[in-house]
Amino acid sequence: MEAVVEVNNLKAYYRAFLYGVDREVRAVDDVSLSIGRGEIYGVAGESSSGKTTLIKTIAGAIRPPLRVVSGAVQFHFNGGTQDIYAMTPEQRASLRWRHLSYIMQGSMNVLNPVRRIRHSFTDFAFRHMKADRATFFDRVGAHLQRLKLDAHLLDAYPHELSGGMRQRMTIALATILTPEFIIADEPTTALDVIVQRDVLSMIREIQREMGSSFLFVTHDMGVHAAVSDRIGIVYAGRLVEEAPTRKLFQIPLHPYTQHLVSSLPRIGDASKRPSLEGRPPNLAMPPEGCRFHPRCPKRMDICSREAPPMVAVEPDRRVACFAVTGGAP
Amino acid sequence: MLTIVRDLARQNMEFLFGLLLLAVIVGLVILSYFSPYGPSDLYLLPPDMPPDGQYWLGTTSRGQDVFWQLTTALRNTLYFGIGVAFLSRVISLAVGLVAGYAGGVVDRVLMAINDSIMVIPQFPVLILFYFVLKDEMTWTVLIVVMASLGWSYDARLIRSVAISLKTRPFTTQSVYSGMSMRKILIQEHLPYVLPIVFATTMNNMIWSIGMEITLSVLGFTDIETPTMGMMIYWANAHSALIAGTWWWVAAPVAAIVVLFMALFLLSMSMNEYNDPRSRLNRMGG
Repeated sequence: MEAVVEVNNLKAYYRAFLYGVDREVRAVDDVSLSIGRGEIYGVAGESSSGKTTLIKTIAGAIRPPLRVVSGAVQFHFNGGTQDIYAMTPEQRASLRWRHLSYIMQGSMNVLNPVRRIRHSFTDFAFRHMKADRATFFDRVGAHLQRLKLDAHLLDAYPHELSGGMRQRMTIALATILTPEFIIADEPTTALDVIVQRDVLSMIREIQREMGSSFLFVTHDMGVHAAVSDRIGIVYAGRLVEEAPTRKLFQIPLHPYTQHLVSSLPRIGDASKRPSLEGRPPNLAMPPEGCRFHPRCPKRMDICSREAPPMVAVEPDRRVACFAVTGGAP
Repeated sequence: MLTIVRDLARQNMEFLFGLLLLAVIVGLVILSYFSPYGPSDLYLLPPDMPPDGQYWLGTTSRGQDVFWQLTTALRNTLYFGIGVAFLSRVISLAVGLVAGYAGGVVDRVLMAINDSIMVIPQFPVLILFYFVLKDEMTWTVLIVVMASLGWSYDARLIRSVAISLKTRPFTTQSVYSGMSMRKILIQEHLPYVLPIVFATTMNNMIWSIGMEITLSVLGFTDIETPTMGMMIYWANAHSALIAGTWWWVAAPVAAIVVLFMALFLLSMSMNEYNDPRSRLNRMGG
């Protein structure tokens, strides 16, 4: 499959120097992944595992103290290759909305509460479309209709819309210029399941119609099962397993994924779900070797010494665990 | 806008009262354009006439009609207050929004200036300006000087809001979409802080008009242009109270009280309108 984004050995750390203490939080550590054209790639992981940092770094939306330490993020738009951290800020800005857009976390609040929604469209998206205002709003109207939103909502203030409408409005705002790659950070969190289903089916529909790729982040495995084609599991800033959705849910390989999947409730099954001992590590002082080893039921000696590499166990499936790949180098 | 005014007038006695008083002031200001006498005409009329049918508020010892002089003085004073308020709002908006958004060194420098202005004793500085500038101390110059002393409190207020706005998702989104800082401040943040600015405008007018009157009464301004303070200055200079021409002092004092009450009541009800919690209180919720 043709890749639209390639992330190679990306390391992004927060570095804080406060009161004489130099602290480095390794929120994204050595992550490599690639996302194909027209694919929905899900990123799953618990809170503070570095999901949002990962996609912020991919989107090129980082601000100090977050820095990219090494690695590269490459997009393949228009048949070319764009390395987002080798570009000038102007070039980077010119990719946005036309090729790459980002539905931010808490995206219900990206609409300015004191301005009509129409202004959010002109402020954020209009500059990226090389057309006059009338054409732009024709397009906005048509796009909103496709997302089952009425065009007159453009003249409303954000607080006049329901949560679900606002969420759909921000998705409309991010997809108006049919970008090739869309990053969505928890777009359905804080919505009830019915609205969630609407939003998810809308995302599916957009993806089918526009052929865009999605990078979809949420901690809700149910949502992943519904939308994602492939899922990458993040634990403590590292990718630990990557597999097509069906395979991941049926035969999880990494011990962390196994626990994650077995913790999901099933209708009719009232058995007690075992909970993992311990808590996710502090990313400022991650454990040596495999970051999961203090909590891992299958840990071996090597796990506390060396970090397991991502190894392809099947053509479309990678996992970073010595117990699975068996390989002590 | 009109419905807001209507509802406020219905629900809020202070607002209604303030609006009525302001209407009186505005009416007098409009009348001033139909004054039969020039603003600085002297000894046209018989001096020291008490209020009667011909001279509604009497005449001064300098042979001026108190009523018509009052309308012109009120106009000048009101325009002065509006001028200072407008100019100082512009400064405080610029400083507050930029300092809050930019942060870091810019913030520290701007706030250092801000805090210095805040602690400078304003009255002695104004007197100093008068002694240095003397005849060049026109009303325009005084407006500029007062405006550059009167912006600091509100700049801090606006900065505190701007710091919060900076971290909201819609600002992140604006940055991500490639909006420049100037555009973010004017298009995204300015509409957010405008209600606060409206509320502080009244307070600023009360402050600047009070300052003007104090300076004029003491003679530290251009005392040939009729203003409220200038009327009291000339009345004092002719010992109006001792000479029994009480109307000369009473008229400007009453007008000042009405003006201040109008501004104060409007500012109070405006604050209440901006703060939903006190609105709930009024509704008994």
